[in-house]
Amino acid sequence: MSRPALIVGALLVAFGLAVFGLKVFKYGLPLAVAEGVGPWQVELRVNVRGSGAPGSLRALLPASEAGQAIFDEKPTSDRLDFVVREQSGGNRTGVWSGPIGPIHEVVYAFRVQMSAVEVPLPAAGPYPKPPASIGALYLERTPALPVNAPQIAAHLDALRLPSMQDLPGRIRTIYQSVANEVASIDPGSDDALLVLANRDGSEAGKEHLLITLLRAAGVPARLVHGLELRTDATPRERTWSEAWVADRWLPMSTSQDGFFARRPETFLVLGRGAVVNVEATSVLSVGHRYRSLREHLRADEIANLLTPDNPVFERLSFYRLPLPTQAALRVLLLIPLGAVMIALFRNVIGVMTYGTFMPILISLALREFSLWRSLLLVAGVIVFALSLRRALDSLRLLMVPRLSILLCTVVLLVSGFALVGDETQTASLFAGVLFPMVILTMLTERIFITSAEEGVREALVRAVISAGVAATIHPIFQNAHAEYLMFTFPELTFCAMGVLVWLGGYTGYRVSDLLRFRSLAHDPRAEAA
Amino acid sequence: MLPHQLHVRGVLGINARNQKYTLRVNERRFYPLVDDKLATKRMCQEAGIPVPRLFAVAEVHAQAKRLLPQLAGESAFVLKPARGAMGNGILVIDMRDAKMMRGSRVVSAEDFVYHAAGIISGLYSLAGHVDAAMVEEKLVTHAAIAPLAVDGVPDVRVIVYRGIPVMGMMRLPTRSSGGRANLHQGALGVGIDLELGLTTHAMFRGASIQKHPDNQRALLGFPIPSFDQVLTTAVSAASHTGLGYVGADVVIDAILGPAILELNARPGLAIQLANRAGLGPRLDAVDEALGSWRRGERNEMPTEARVALGREVARATRRLAA
Repeated sequence: MSRPALIVGALLVAFGLAVFGLKVFKYGLPLAVAEGVGPWQVELRVNVRGSGAPGSLRALLPASEAGQAIFDEKPTSDRLDFVVREQSGGNRTGVWSGPIGPIHEVVYAFRVQMSAVEVPLPAAGPYPKPPASIGALYLERTPALPVNAPQIAAHLDALRLPSMQDLPGRIRTIYQSVANEVASIDPGSDDALLVLANRDGSEAGKEHLLITLLRAAGVPARLVHGLELRTDATPRERTWSEAWVADRWLPMSTSQDGFFARRPETFLVLGRGAVVNVEATSVLSVGHRYRSLREHLRADEIANLLTPDNPVFERLSFYRLPLPTQAALRVLLLIPLGAVMIALFRNVIGVMTYGTFMPILISLALREFSLWRSLLLVAGVIVFALSLRRALDSLRLLMVPRLSILLCTVVLLVSGFALVGDETQTASLFAGVLFPMVILTMLTERIFITSAEEGVREALVRAVISAGVAATIHPIFQNAHAEYLMFTFPELTFCAMGVLVWLGGYTGYRVSDLLRFRSLAHDPRAEAA
Repeated sequence: MLPHQLHVRGVLGINARNQKYTLRVNERRFYPLVDDKLATKRMCQEAGIPVPRLFAVAEVHAQAKRLLPQLAGESAFVLKPARGAMGNGILVIDMRDAKMMRGSRVVSAEDFVYHAAGIISGLYSLAGHVDAAMVEEKLVTHAAIAPLAVDGVPDVRVIVYRGIPVMGMMRLPTRSSGGRANLHQGALGVGIDLELGLTTHAMFRGASIQKHPDNQRALLGFPIPSFDQVLTTAVSAASHTGLGYVGADVVIDAILGPAILELNARPGLAIQLANRAGLGPRLDAVDEALGSWRRGERNEMPTEARVALGREVARATRRLAA
C-alpha cells in the first residue's frame, strides 16, 4: 500500500474513532443497547383538507400518569393556531384552528417511558361509597351506555352477582361474562345492546357492554382510549375500561389479549370518556395515523442524546429528527457497513458477483424477510423472468423494449407477491418502494447473456456466489446492535471510509489470485526474483 | 505460505496490477483509444501499423440493415462491437455457396442484423453504453500457425510496459472456446520465450498441457513466424496510445504479416500461467533500466532498441531463476 493511502485511511479512521470516543467517554453515550428498557417515540400525523373556511382539528394528547411518563413533546401546526386544552375530566386535547386550506399536515410527536401498571384489589370490604364527583360522572346513563335497558338488568340477574360487600368479586363476574361469553369480531357492532343480543361485537362494543353492566350494577366505570405500541408495526388504536373500586380505578380489557387489574406496559392512555382520538369540524376531510419506534436506550440516555452537553453534537443528533426520517436513516446508515463487506469480497477474496452493489440492494429491500425467504423470493422472480426472457429471444426485440418487458414482468410478479403477502400479514415488506425491480431485471438479462456466452454452468456459479455474498450481508441489515451503533455514532461512517481507503490501496493477492496461480508456487521452472 | 511463495516468484495479482501499473501509468484520458476499436484502428492506420481492413460501420439502428449490402463480394468478415470486452459479441462469418456461415451453422440475414442491433444497443459494451457495430476483414492465419488453429484466428498477446515488450503468449482458439481467443472462455494460452520466439509452456483451462486438445499436435518448441515483427508491431502500437501498460493483440496474417487486432489497457494476468513466470521481476527490471515513471512520459528509444531491452529483461530474469 502506498504511504498516502495508508495515511489518509488512518486519518479517516482516527477522526471517526475520536468523535466516537468523545461521545462515549466524555458524554457518556452508551455503547450497547439494552433490550426492552427504552422509551418509545410516538408520532401522530393528521392530514386535513378544507375549503378555506375557519375550522378546527382536535386530537387527544397523552398526559403523564402512572405507567407512562411523557416528555419531549413536539407539536407542529402548519399555519394553524395550536393550543393545548386541559379539560375537567382530565383529558388533554390539542386544538389546531384557523382557516383550513386545501391541505394541512400537523404532527404531534412525543416520547414516553412506559411501564406496566399493577392495581392490587383492595382488602375485603365493606367499601366506602364512591365519592359524589365520581358517582355523578361514571354511573350515568348515556346513549352509548343504556344502563336502564331491561336486557341489561336481565343479564345481571342471570349472573347472580355477589353482593356489594364483595365488590371485587362483583366486578370480576361481570368482566368474565363479557370477556368469555362474547366473541370479538372485526368489524363488529359498537352498540352495547346489540353486542349483548348477538354475543359478539367490536372491541369498543364489548367495552361499552362491560361499562353499561358495571354501571347498572352500581360500579362507576369509564371507557379508555389509547394506543397499543408494537415493536415491528404501527401502533394500534385500542379501547379498554376502568372500574372504580374503593379508592382506585381498576384497568381491564375484554379483548382476546385482555387484562384485568393491570395495564400492560405497551398500552398508552390517550384519554378517557366518550371522546374520539382525532376529530375535526368545518373541514372537507381528515385522516390520521400513528407511528412509533422503540428506543434502545434509557430515558436519561435519550435525554443525553437529544441535548448532549456539547452544542455541536446536539445539533448533529439524529434523535431530533421526525420519526419517518429517523426510521429511514437507521437503515441507510447501515449501507457503509455493507459497502465495506462488498469491497472485502471483491478486492480481498476476489469473487465475481452480478452487479457490484446488487447484494446490498437486495439485502436492503428484503431486510424484513428472513434470509431463506429472501433468497427464495429473488430466485423465484429470476427463474420466472428468465423463462420469459428465453421465450422473448425468438421475437428478436430491440434491447430497451425487451428489457422493459422484463421489467413489467418483474413488477407484476412483485405485485403478485404483495397480494400473497397481504394474505399472510407480511405486507409491510412491500410498503417500501425499495424493492429493486430494475436491479432484478438487469440481473435476469445478465444471467441470460452469461449463460448464452459462457455456459449455463458459469452463469449458475456466479449466481450462487452472488447469493452467497448477499447472504453474508443480509444479517447486517437485521442487526439491531449495528443499527443502533451506526445511528447513534454516524461518525463511524468515517471509519468505514478509512477502511475502504486501505482496501483500495491493498496490493496483496486476492484469494482468487492464490487459487489461480497456486501451480506457480511449487514449479521449479518458474522464475524467481 | 502460498502468498509468500507467489511473491518470491514475482507473480502479479489483480490488486497489484491495478494499483502499481494500470492506475499509475495508464492515464484515463488515453483509454478511449483502446476501448474503442474504431479509434484504435484509425490510430494505427495513421501511424502506418497494419490492421484488418474496415468494411462497414453501423452507429445507429437504421444503419444495421445497410451493413450487409456493403459486404457484397467479401468472402469472410467479422462483425464485432467497437467497445466490446473479453471477446464478447463477436460474430465470425465465412461465405460459402452465397450463404453466411458461422462455423457449420448458417446465419440468416435477419440473424446478422439482429446481432448488429444488439451490439448497437450496448449489450456487449463495457458499461452498457450505446455502441457501434463494425465489420472488418477476417484475417487469414499464417500458414506456419495454421495447423494449430482449429477454429478461429490465433493471436499473440504481448504485454508492453513503458514501451518495452515484457511477456508474450500465443492464444489459440479451441472448439470449446467457440473460436474465441480468450483464455477464460477455453482458448489455449501458450507461453513464448521472448528471446528465441519459441513456445515454452501451454495451458488449457488452468492446467498444463503438451498437445493441442482438439488435434493432438505438439504445442511446445514451436517457432512463432515473423516474431521480430510481432514485437515491433506491438511496441509501436502500444507507444502510440500514450498508455504505459498495454496488452497488444497481434494476428499474424498470411498476407499482411503481423497486424494489430486490438489493444487492451487492462490485460489479464493468465499470461503468467502460460509462461510459468511472474510479471513482477520483468516490470521491476524495466523500471530499473528506465528510471522511475514520470507522468506523461513517452519512450523515445528506437523500436529495435526497445525490443532488444525487452529480450534482455526476459533473459536476465530467466537467469536469476536458473
